Amino acid sequence: MANQAIQVERIYKTYADGTAAVNDVSFSVPEGSCFGFLGPNGAGKTTLMKMLFGMVRRDGRAETRVDVMGFDPAFQELPIKHLCGVVPQDDNLDSEVNVGANLFIYSKFYGLPAKEARARIAELLDFMELKEKAKAKVNDLSGGMKRRLVIARALMNRPRLLILDEPTTGLDPQVRQLIWDKVRALKREGVTVLLTTHYMEEAYQIADSIIIMDKGSRVLEGEPHELLAEGIEPWVLEVLDKEGITSCQDGPLSERIRCEVGESRAQFFSDHPESLRDLAAAFPSGRTHLRPTNLEDLFLRSTGRKLNDQQ
Amino acid sequence: MTSSSLYPSLASRLGSVWYRHFRTYTKDIVSNGFPPFMEPLIFLAGMGLGMARYIPNLVEMSYLQFLATGLLMTSSMFTAAFECTFGTFIRLEFDKTYDGMLAAPLTVSDVVLGEALWAGTKGAFFSLAVLIIISAFGIVGFLPALLTPIIGFLNGFLFAAIGLLVTSFVKNINHFNFFFTGLLSPMFMFCGTIFPIANLPAPLRVVAEFLPLTHPVRLGRVAALARGWKPSLLLDLAYVLAVAAVVMYFAVRRLSKRMVK
Repeated sequence: MANQAIQVERIYKTYADGTAAVNDVSFSVPEGSCFGFLGPNGAGKTTLMKMLFGMVRRDGRAETRVDVMGFDPAFQELPIKHLCGVVPQDDNLDSEVNVGANLFIYSKFYGLPAKEARARIAELLDFMELKEKAKAKVNDLSGGMKRRLVIARALMNRPRLLILDEPTTGLDPQVRQLIWDKVRALKREGVTVLLTTHYMEEAYQIADSIIIMDKGSRVLEGEPHELLAEGIEPWVLEVLDKEGITSCQDGPLSERIRCEVGESRAQFFSDHPESLRDLAAAFPSGRTHLRPTNLEDLFLRSTGRKLNDQQ
Repeated sequence: MTSSSLYPSLASRLGSVWYRHFRTYTKDIVSNGFPPFMEPLIFLAGMGLGMARYIPNLVEMSYLQFLATGLLMTSSMFTAAFECTFGTFIRLEFDKTYDGMLAAPLTVSDVVLGEALWAGTKGAFFSLAVLIIISAFGIVGFLPALLTPIIGFLNGFLFAAIGLLVTSFVKNINHFNFFFTGLLSPMFMFCGTIFPIANLPAPLRVVAEFLPLTHPVRLGRVAALARGWKPSLLLDLAYVLAVAAVVMYFAVRRLSKRMVK
């Protein structure tokens, strides 16, 4: 078994206002793997991550054990922060100074000598494909470029652990692909990656293992492909039509098909795409869509509600 | 930092926070450097050319000297107080600057203390700016007065600490008005900056002795005139150091609860 970069046992967080943000969660992350936390806003993903580098104080409970690269964040936040890079949800860049200066200021936080910092900055700008932007003002950057700059900043000290809090929320597909490529490249170099996202696609693309969270608790945990294979039928036919909804409400169509009704659509799940294709013929063409199921369907099934209905 | 240590030293961490503020401030050095020189110039032109001629001199110095040497500390007080109230609040609530900084190997104490050291530096710079102006007008000598930026630093640090403590309570940026209008404006008037405390009624003299600006002003004036040194100034120095340390301690504690939930 690989060494564990992170081991968390029975962690809890209740905020001052009484909100139980994280409720008895345990997990461990092997070195060099990518671990994803999935769930809607308010599920406790960010709180959980912030507890790992001391930005949120966990509840003091006797049963809780936290080990991040050999340190406990409650008592040893500095060595952990020195070994990890964090990409927070907000792009908190210094808008007063240009791209290069943003990185140079950050290099000082790690105590890097100026010469070493300058070499590292050139390397990072190259890696994140921002080379031409070294002298650009932060406010002139696009959202995707800002995000890449924040990632470059997090990589300043060659982290062994990279923490990404919703790295691609609100970005266009090209930038997302680029960021995913970079994360995969870092993983190949042995960097452990921790990721929060509410994009199923993102978890599927880069995470080796995921926890699906809801309301501060763990709902499901496992390897994304396995979770899908075990948790839900591989195919779904979506019918955006009243007839679909009624036919679903009328009762089971066959043993091979399970169906669920939403507000304006019916979903027919099955292991057999051909049965669904036959079924689709019964509805007006253009109102049906046959596709493989994804983690979002699984999430819906596990929690009984849609992924983003709680904002 | 040595390669064997697990994280940068305290000095390196405080220095890096200071450097962050230095870089962002000096990026706009022309517009940021304008007020510290211009404001004393306007004030002295108005008061010195206009009003001062109606006011009799003091025993030890001219009224213009009294006023100009008071300005050394009010200028550093205001800049440090602004930096650590509005500045800190914006970094905390709007820019989320500290989220980025605290993700690096820095603690809340590093971030807060580094900020106060920076505000102290600005205080020194603002005192120096006033000194340059008033010495250019021949009101005091420049070289004999070179201790004043150091007093300006201590004064800046003191008001940074007070500003940070105030900020730790503030939820709405407009609430700083209570601090500026309620505490700093009266201090500007009644702490021996524009007239001697001795002219106040006895009970108010006692109040003035408790107010933080009184003591740096007393120190700064002696430093600027380079005469009038007396042992009681050590008490003023002790007041500045002690109050700054105690207030800073509580500011760090309270901001720590705010930054790390």
